[in-house]
Amino acid sequence: MLSSMAAAGSVKAALQVAEVLEAIVSCCVGPEGRQVLCTKPTGEVLLSRNGGRLLEALHLQHPIARMIVDCVSSHLKKTGDGAKTFIIFLCHLLRGLHAITDKEKDPLMCENIQTHGRHWKNCCQWRFISQALVAFQTQILDGIMDQYLSRHFSSIFSSAKERTLCRSSLELLLEAYFCGRVGRNNHKFISQLMCDYFFKCMTCKSGIDVFELVDDYFVELNVGVTGLPVSDSRVIAGLVLQKDFSVYCPADGDIRMVIVTETIQPLFSTSGSEFILNSEAQFQTSQFWIMEKTKAIMKHLRSQNVKLLLSSVKQPDLVIYYAGVNGISVVECLSSSEVSLIRRIIDLSPFVPPQAFSQCEVSNTALVKFCKPLILRSKRYVHLGLIGTRTFIPHCVVLCGPVQGLIEQHEDALHGAFKMLRQLFKDLDLNYVTQTSDQNGTSSLFIYKNSGESYQAPDTGKGSIQRPYQDTVVENKDELEKTQTYLKVHSNLVISDVELETYIPYSTPTDTFQTDETLKCLSLERNRLTDDYEPLLKNNSTAYSTRGNNRIDISYENLQVTNITGKGNMLPVSCKLQNMGTSQSYLSSSMPAGCVLPVGGNFEILLHYYLLNYAKKCHQSEETMVSMIIANALLGIPRALYKSKTGKYSFPHIYVRAVHALQTNQPLVSSQTGLESVTGKYQLLTSVLQCLTKILTIDLVITVKRHPQKVHNQDSEDEL
Amino acid sequence: MSRLEAKKPSLCKSEPLTTERVRTTLSVLKRIVTSCYGPSGRLKQLHNGFGGYVCTTSQSSALLSHLLVTHPILKILTTSVQNHVSSFSDCGLFTAILCCNLIENVQRLGLTPTTVIRLNKHLVSLCISYLKSETCGCRIPVDFSSTQILLCLVRSILTSKPACMLTRKETEHVSALILRAFLLTIPGNAEGHIILGKSLIVPLKDQRVIDSTVLPGILIEMAEVQLMRLLPIKKSTALKVALFCTTLSGDISDTGEGTVVVSYGISLENAVLDQLLNLGRQLVSDHVDLVLCQKVIHPSLKQFLNMHRVIAIDRIGVTLMEPLTKMTGTQPIGSLGSISPNSYGSVKDVCTVKFGSKHFFHLIPNEATICSLLLCSRNDTTWDELKLTCQTALHVLQLTLKEPWALLGGGCTETHLAAYIRHKTHNDPESILKDDECTQTELHLIAEAFCSALESVVGSLEHDGGEILTDMKYGHLWSVQADSTCVANWQDLLSQCGCGLYNSQEELSWSFLRSTHHPFVPQTCLPHEAVGSASNLTLDCLTAKLSGLQVAVETANLILDLSYVIEDKN
Repeated sequence: MLSSMAAAGSVKAALQVAEVLEAIVSCCVGPEGRQVLCTKPTGEVLLSRNGGRLLEALHLQHPIARMIVDCVSSHLKKTGDGAKTFIIFLCHLLRGLHAITDKEKDPLMCENIQTHGRHWKNCCQWRFISQALVAFQTQILDGIMDQYLSRHFSSIFSSAKERTLCRSSLELLLEAYFCGRVGRNNHKFISQLMCDYFFKCMTCKSGIDVFELVDDYFVELNVGVTGLPVSDSRVIAGLVLQKDFSVYCPADGDIRMVIVTETIQPLFSTSGSEFILNSEAQFQTSQFWIMEKTKAIMKHLRSQNVKLLLSSVKQPDLVIYYAGVNGISVVECLSSSEVSLIRRIIDLSPFVPPQAFSQCEVSNTALVKFCKPLILRSKRYVHLGLIGTRTFIPHCVVLCGPVQGLIEQHEDALHGAFKMLRQLFKDLDLNYVTQTSDQNGTSSLFIYKNSGESYQAPDTGKGSIQRPYQDTVVENKDELEKTQTYLKVHSNLVISDVELETYIPYSTPTDTFQTDETLKCLSLERNRLTDDYEPLLKNNSTAYSTRGNNRIDISYENLQVTNITGKGNMLPVSCKLQNMGTSQSYLSSSMPAGCVLPVGGNFEILLHYYLLNYAKKCHQSEETMVSMIIANALLGIPRALYKSKTGKYSFPHIYVRAVHALQTNQPLVSSQTGLESVTGKYQLLTSVLQCLTKILTIDLVITVKRHPQKVHNQDSEDEL
Repeated sequence: MSRLEAKKPSLCKSEPLTTERVRTTLSVLKRIVTSCYGPSGRLKQLHNGFGGYVCTTSQSSALLSHLLVTHPILKILTTSVQNHVSSFSDCGLFTAILCCNLIENVQRLGLTPTTVIRLNKHLVSLCISYLKSETCGCRIPVDFSSTQILLCLVRSILTSKPACMLTRKETEHVSALILRAFLLTIPGNAEGHIILGKSLIVPLKDQRVIDSTVLPGILIEMAEVQLMRLLPIKKSTALKVALFCTTLSGDISDTGEGTVVVSYGISLENAVLDQLLNLGRQLVSDHVDLVLCQKVIHPSLKQFLNMHRVIAIDRIGVTLMEPLTKMTGTQPIGSLGSISPNSYGSVKDVCTVKFGSKHFFHLIPNEATICSLLLCSRNDTTWDELKLTCQTALHVLQLTLKEPWALLGGGCTETHLAAYIRHKTHNDPESILKDDECTQTELHLIAEAFCSALESVVGSLEHDGGEILTDMKYGHLWSVQADSTCVANWQDLLSQCGCGLYNSQEELSWSFLRSTHHPFVPQTCLPHEAVGSASNLTLDCLTAKLSGLQVAVETANLILDLSYVIEDKN
């Protein structure tokens, strides 16, 4: 009976779900992405390219899908970017994992569990993989970021120390961001608008707290106006409250304002008290007293030059009247967030009507530059010229659009951009485990760099490839014996790699496989090397002849060739480490705030490249496998980005160029000019890995008819 | 505990525009809006089949607000048009038709959305910059020192709404009234920042249209009996007015969150009434002549005030409060005692007037920008249509005051613009494409789609099977009756172009609008004498049309960009 309600939480099921989601999000990813129209149950329509919004709008029922959506939205809440990439990456990861098990003859890791059913066996195996994933995330990823990727980063700041931001680099960053978030027509305009807003609000002293402020109160800092073309959107100085004045008295000069959170008019009785009326005269005198008191308070405010009263509650007619008589403008019914925003900007505590009147000053007042009605498309708003602080000069964005749905999209995108900037302005801590043995402190990075430099760019011709390779061999001759031991140690690795190669029909795992093959050759007989090498190449070209046109094939061949030469160089390093014996050490470093990379999958290709290099060096099979799966899945993102491009800008071309540049130690050339935040990408990667770990650890999904009861923690209360 | 229910999954459809259902619904909507367009547009009757309110209209605002659209794509289109109309009042149908045409034309081409959207944007910005430029050949300056062009503008709006059922004479009368009402709202001492007043439209549904009139000041409708009771005031100076926004009915105001215990035998009502009468005494001693109250006045207070020859009028309602405050210069009073003397305002005079069967109390201002437009019509639905039209016209006049230009109407702007774009894309494509990845062929395709979309908008001005021509010099629109067989002698068949600026006596050559013809340079820079001589032009509001054009293209781009529709089924 249980089985009818329970579904196996397998990778296969998750993959099916993720593939459906991928199909939806991949249509709106990247600069070529398109819009999706969502209807709300109320009948409103929403236009969106925001992955998070789309996933929520789908109201998915499948439990795994819901879990994925939850993961995405918690990621979005933090970073404001990357929902679509999240799904695509997750889908590719699952595909990679599925491919491993699908054709697997004998289980990879859990030979000892045979009594259980196949499903449970799988689950157990997934548990191992998920542990490996966690290990990867906590111990390896940060190291790769720190040691390899970091040298490709550039900073958004023109001077890193003072964190001054130049407009052009911010423009590049924002344009790239909005490319993926708003319609193709508007991304330039919106990013300009955001740039304007940013530079108008920020002062040179602005720190990260300003981003927090804007992020927290973004709803209050923008006004949507329907029925106007998008190009009418603008940034205006001051704060716009989305209500009208209850009383408006034009005023200029020294305008002071107060905030009240309760009615100014004294009431007969406050809650919890009782007012006993004994005579009609008493009633009349109390009424008279109330009136006089209100009048006096308003007069007092007037004498203190207060010309604006902001109230979070509705004030009685009497208060409004005396405010008008005294030339005080009143805005009522401010929302709590509006009040807290104003209080946060100008640091003003609410005014409490004094019990007894003295001639003392009202302390809780603030100066405003102006206070006037603002008419936007025949609707009236209150326009408040708050005086900015050292770090924040209040400004508002007026967003126009033909329909509300479009305005919401722009609002969302702007909000997300602030979230992204908020993350970008933080330093990122990296903690990882590294295996160091060299007393000189020569990191493998350094050695690798050297070896990379010692070779020229391999040409396409076969002859020229052979030459450098033979050179390597000559150099490595002395180390040959060490190489053999290394290979013995790593025989397991080779096997698993062979399997991987058959399951994942793509370029990179085969590299490893070939490298190891060639290494074998190397250890057996040096002269056979070049002979072996040719059939391998042929194999490769046949393997890839099914994909794309001939030109791509050729470039793939080149790619493989270069990888092999690269590998030859790496070899001595690995051996050295092996011989000297490794010891684990925990390192922590940090990535400075403002790290950026050019857009267009650069981060993914770089990480892919370095992960593969890492995988070839590492000693544990799970580590290798996890690294490879992640490395391959990463390529799914640029592939989706360049889906519609052809010729020089197609994905294989871009990839080959990038890898070539990396191997020859040349700077990467990006076809696009935009920038993206490394922090955002890094966080995305970790969020996806966490989500995957979550999926893998679930073995069974059980449907229950009623709501799961919330478990209340009674103990803690008892203890208190 | 609230009932929790699982949300139903949404419905997700890919490539929504390619489905047959969307195409048919789009073409149905297009047929509805095109058939309404222009002075000879067909009327639509909207009713719900269970009796009740029937709406006969050809205006986009009335039509679209009554139309129940369910498909999300159509909803985007209609809300976008409605939003445009609510901010500019005019050019709603133009926007809707242009948007439909653009979607239809572009779909036929089969280009990628990216290219289409990019090029559409270039073309629309080309249009906008041309229409705003000095060399523009289809806009004329609006001269506020004479009424001629303003009257043309109002008349064009009235004639384009056939559901108002106005005769020629009535049209003239109503246009003059609207213009007067508008001019009354402009403050006399215009210095720096002008704040326009307000024209209040007062319904009179049992009179002829020709009886409509404009009065300065505010009319408050009252029953005859009530009016009889009001004593005439004989006073040479201005009347003092007190305007109350708080209730004077004797209610006990908010007593707070705690409890109020009233001892036996104490009547709070009496206490409050005493207070009210005290207030009355204060008003009388302050020599107030007129007491107006948004809410209810207690009968005893009313009686008291009447006894002291003070006119008391209650239940004015919140809508009249703002114009009353503005006109009389009062501060709405929210207190039952100690009224500040600054809070009183004044009116020049009051009188009672009777229009048809309705009686009004008329407040005549000293100098104010508030006026009342008494709009008459014998028929409920035509009155509704007429009211909407008047509001549109008043709004258009306001917009024109801000941007004193008008576009040539009658379809001439559209044909001229299409000719200009054709010419521009053929002769100077590089300047449009600049740094884009699009090719010239793509540009020509999209420009042709864009121009023919513009031309089919004006094509839908013709509902009686006539032909539409364009001349090869100005690029204006000319229409021919349906039964004209002779093609050789256009000059005799055609008399005037759509806007009325040119007549056929000039040496012009014509061609059918839909036929293919070589791009030509439409004459730019309108000569001044041409504008001055023409007395009966058809004109459009520049601001509204510009925005309509932009909104139509933006909306079409949005719809063309859709790759999925996710429908929430909850």
